[in-house]
Amino acid sequence: MKRSIVALIATCLSLGMMLTSFNAQAAKKSFADKKVVLQISDPNPFKQTLVLNVANNLIKHYGPDQVDVEIVAFGPGLRLLFAENSNKGRVNSLVSNGVRFSACKNTIKNMAKKLGSDPELNQHAVKVDAGVVRIIDLVKQGYTLVKP
Amino acid sequence: MKINLSKVASSAILATMLGGIVAPANAANWLMLQGTEPEGSAPRAKVWGFIQPEYTKTDGTKIKAGPWKGEDMILNQMRPDLKSSEGFNMLRARLGVRGTGMPLDSNVNYFLLAEFGNNGITRGDGGSAKVTDASVTLNHLKDFARFRVGTFKTPGSEEGLQAIHVFDYINFTGATNGLLLERFFKYDGSGTFVSPNAGPNTASDSGQVNKPTGPVGAFRDTGIQVFNSFNLSGWDTSYAYMVGNGNGITRGDNDGEMETYAYLSTEKVFGGKGPRRQGFKLFAWNQEGKRNLTLEKGNAVASDDEEKQFDRKRSGYGFTFKKGNYRAAFEAIKADGMIFNGTDGGAVAGTKSKLPAGAAGKFTTNGDVGGDGQLNASFNMEPIGKADGMYLHVGYAITPKLEVDFRYDEYNRMTDVAAKERKFETNTLGVQYFFNKKSRLIINYEQREAEAPNLPADHNANKILDSVDDRLSAQILVIF
Repeated sequence: MKRSIVALIATCLSLGMMLTSFNAQAAKKSFADKKVVLQISDPNPFKQTLVLNVANNLIKHYGPDQVDVEIVAFGPGLRLLFAENSNKGRVNSLVSNGVRFSACKNTIKNMAKKLGSDPELNQHAVKVDAGVVRIIDLVKQGYTLVKP
Repeated sequence: MKINLSKVASSAILATMLGGIVAPANAANWLMLQGTEPEGSAPRAKVWGFIQPEYTKTDGTKIKAGPWKGEDMILNQMRPDLKSSEGFNMLRARLGVRGTGMPLDSNVNYFLLAEFGNNGITRGDGGSAKVTDASVTLNHLKDFARFRVGTFKTPGSEEGLQAIHVFDYINFTGATNGLLLERFFKYDGSGTFVSPNAGPNTASDSGQVNKPTGPVGAFRDTGIQVFNSFNLSGWDTSYAYMVGNGNGITRGDNDGEMETYAYLSTEKVFGGKGPRRQGFKLFAWNQEGKRNLTLEKGNAVASDDEEKQFDRKRSGYGFTFKKGNYRAAFEAIKADGMIFNGTDGGAVAGTKSKLPAGAAGKFTTNGDVGGDGQLNASFNMEPIGKADGMYLHVGYAITPKLEVDFRYDEYNRMTDVAAKERKFETNTLGVQYFFNKKSRLIINYEQREAEAPNLPADHNANKILDSVDDRLSAQILVIF
């Protein structure tokens, strides 16, 4: 009996860890039919609107459960993920529909040199080592790269 | 009615800060639209501008009475040249750049705009282009206050503060044009004072026509403004307090006296964003300052000219409304001191008067430039006097491309001196056809009436004012 309980706890713990890992690595475990990675690296503010529009259109067309969307921001495009960005309302809305946002650490480091400190990022932004590497990894996993 | 908003604004600012209401409003308004950039998404330099070619026509009725009888009536002539009653003009052609010098830092933004059109800005003192706006805004304390420094639109009347490229009409209302679009003069013009029925009695001391000393104020000043916008229980509430030179554009200070501007507005936003968002806005404002003016004392003796300093106060309140297809606006304006009082006999400044019978030689004074006994009409300023005005605007968008507008406006000049009081009323019927969101055709028909309400109908002043024609205007407006 004791062994059964221990086994049950262990199983639960393992499942929990697996679920945590699943969330963290959602891209790798996605079961969505469509998988899209959107790149934002342009300084033109209009591109911010455009990339958010594209993400929104994907969600609307396929439904939040049928499409996996991740927006990877690096270079000048990282401004989209600044905490006080004027599009933060739209970013938060997309997050609630399952869209993920990745922020390039290399860009953060470079911007910190110019600003004197790290830029304050949107709370939903997940830092990745390098934006371009993140895109390559996602493409390898079957994601379609779109750069609006 | 005296609205001293300086104290009101100061109290509101303090109360807002102490109240801890620090969430910045997301929706924009004129203060925010013109003074700030969207955070994290503003370009380093966004080039923009607009052009407004126009056509204007009046019947060109000549002055019906007085020393300038038979001459062109200034109100029937095309601005700014005043040489014809009908024609085309490139009214405004503006080119600007705005953005954040360093896009990574949203705490600093700038705004630069220049005028290349043919109007009171560029015709004031020669030159074909003038910088109308050049300002920097510091947003480091944006939860409490933002600071704008430079030359820019002053926080005040809705008609002056709004972006001109979304103005629903072609011409300003009488009160805005007469009381708020400031002309700057060295002399009061009384050297060519026209007594109501007797004609001119002397010539300008200066020996020259009293004309503006430079560009119109263009609702702008150079100084510093503290302002911000907050979401107060669902109302986009803004304040601004500015201190400036009180000298309009392209001038520095000349008297050590600072102009103060106070402004409050609160708007229930129904939807949309930018300059055409939908909402119901209440606003009030106050402006106070001093002006130097040389009094010619109504005679031709230059030696008794005296430069004095006078108070200039303006205040107003009103509302704007836009929801669905409906638009409306109202504003009441009060003025005290430095009242722009038109030209002698309704003539275009510089026009020579007729020589009254039997008066030969009477006017051959040191101010009679021509030396022929005739006088040159001058602009006049009343340093001490009161005036008021109002406008009511309603509009309806029949389709997204077609909008009809109607505006009634009233301008009462020198209301504290019965003989000098003049009343101007205008009914404007307007049509706007939108080719697209950034291009439209505006057609206005203005039915204009003017009178001296305290003088007999057959008085020369009323005969002169009876010369004012209706006006037809058409304008193409393109924003880029």
